[in-house]
Amino acid sequence: MQGTESARSYAKNVWDSVKTTLVGMGITWRYMLQKPITVQYPDERLPIPDRYRGIHYLEQEKCINCLACARACPIDCIEMEAVRHGKELEWILFTLDYQKCMFCELCVYPCPKDCIHMGTEFAFVTFDRSEFKHDLLSFKGMAREARIRMKEAEAKKAAKEAAKAAGAKPAADAKPAADEGKAES
Amino acid sequence: MSGSNAFLEALRTYVGEWLPAWALWLAAAVIGVAIAVGLISVIAMFCVWLERKVSGHIQCRYGPMYAGWHGWLQSIADGVKLLLKEDMIPRDADRVLFMLAPALVLAAIVGAMAAYPLAPGVLFADIDLGLFFIVAMSSMTTIGVVMAGWASNSKWTIYGSMREAAQVVAYEVPLGVSLLVPVMVAGTLNLREASAAQADFFGMGWFLFKNPFMLPAFALFFTAALAETKRAPFDLPEAESELVAGFMTEYSGIRWSFFFMEEYAAMFLMSAIAAVFFLGGFESPLTHFAGQFFGTELFVPGDGGASTINFRALPYHLVAGGTLIVKTFFGIFVMMWLRWTLPRIRIDQVMTVGYKYLTPLALLCVFGAALWEAGKHAIFGS
Repeated sequence: MQGTESARSYAKNVWDSVKTTLVGMGITWRYMLQKPITVQYPDERLPIPDRYRGIHYLEQEKCINCLACARACPIDCIEMEAVRHGKELEWILFTLDYQKCMFCELCVYPCPKDCIHMGTEFAFVTFDRSEFKHDLLSFKGMAREARIRMKEAEAKKAAKEAAKAAGAKPAADAKPAADEGKAES
Repeated sequence: MSGSNAFLEALRTYVGEWLPAWALWLAAAVIGVAIAVGLISVIAMFCVWLERKVSGHIQCRYGPMYAGWHGWLQSIADGVKLLLKEDMIPRDADRVLFMLAPALVLAAIVGAMAAYPLAPGVLFADIDLGLFFIVAMSSMTTIGVVMAGWASNSKWTIYGSMREAAQVVAYEVPLGVSLLVPVMVAGTLNLREASAAQADFFGMGWFLFKNPFMLPAFALFFTAALAETKRAPFDLPEAESELVAGFMTEYSGIRWSFFFMEEYAAMFLMSAIAAVFFLGGFESPLTHFAGQFFGTELFVPGDGGASTINFRALPYHLVAGGTLIVKTFFGIFVMMWLRWTLPRIRIDQVMTVGYKYLTPLALLCVFGAALWEAGKHAIFGS
């Protein structure tokens, strides 16, 4: 009795191993004929969601150097510095240290001018650690437009001063100042 | 033509008058060895690429894609990298054995290659014990593997090589016994003659269809061959998830690649045996009609005793050799397919499968096939 039982289980083992192997091979065969689901990464990229929190980008023309983002940063990885010439800014530095940054997006919300954003670029590879201190500025110093505006303002001022020197009425003094205030707001 | 070496024959035909006999022998040997080594390197490179592509596609990946069309140059790039790598020998290793082991492994498999028939008339060596020679030589590699494991002086390598030894001892028996079935039907161990015995039915008289016990014997042989060549699910000697890399743990660079080449060359030879003794060898309808159209004799007796090469028969030999290569690579593909299908089994399971299942079943197959053949002879005569 025990003999037939063990013979049956022996035969069942053989049958099971052959059958399961063939079933498994069928499954892998199906997968092999399927189109690969991976993409050839550097050449092809999968679409990135809009709200992805990647490397920041800065709309430098809008930025007013208010330091709101740097203050909001919980780990102080934003460093920024600019010199104000009247209304215009001369940019010296705006770096984000990606060795520290944890992509929390807290720097984005307080921005009054809505000029710092999280981008979609995620691969940030360097040969040197110091390069992780990423420069977000697209230009150093003053913007060309800002320089032109400043020059125009200076020219206007000079013209007004010339007019004043030519002997204008004292009431004329107040009017340009009001103009200036309007332009600023 | 039997018992001859095609290269020796060709040399004798063309330069036999100007060179002494020993120079002819030497030149033929050098040409043969060069072709065998070249063949093994090319096969190993192609197999590595194929394995990576097959595994990639089974896992819904692409595999290598950048070096050449679909990465076909990847193996060459890898080979260059391996050649340029630092040749490291562990301080406490047995230097002589450590350096000897990969060479022994590769030499054994190159030696086994001698019995591989390139085409019906183009053979390295037309040995009457061809099958026995291949099986014996390819299990010689075990000595090299055990040597490598012992000489590396590391626990992983020892475990790996002990497993290899246990596995080969267990699976050599079903491998040989299941091969007895086609050998019994063919009545020869010579690969060329076994292939020629399957030429009936327009080249479709494969041994696989000639005897009901042939299919189980083929399955048993294939399983045992997987264990012989250390392929998954029997890749315990190099079980990378438990033994780092098994017996190859301490090897790097070109020495490591020798073990790799051996693995793929052994796969090729085992698949070649499967192709010759179960799947018709050179024979297929295409070969059959090529043989009828072009003639089969590559060397025909010329005037004055020396034979001349019959170039008209060359296409037939190309077709026949190509048929065998295609069948062999089908076997290699199935081995890869199995590897990426099945998980690795435990060493006690390996032993159970070898001793309790494959060996008795192989003996049963031989017994059944013998009865069948005897009955056939009794009823139909010879």
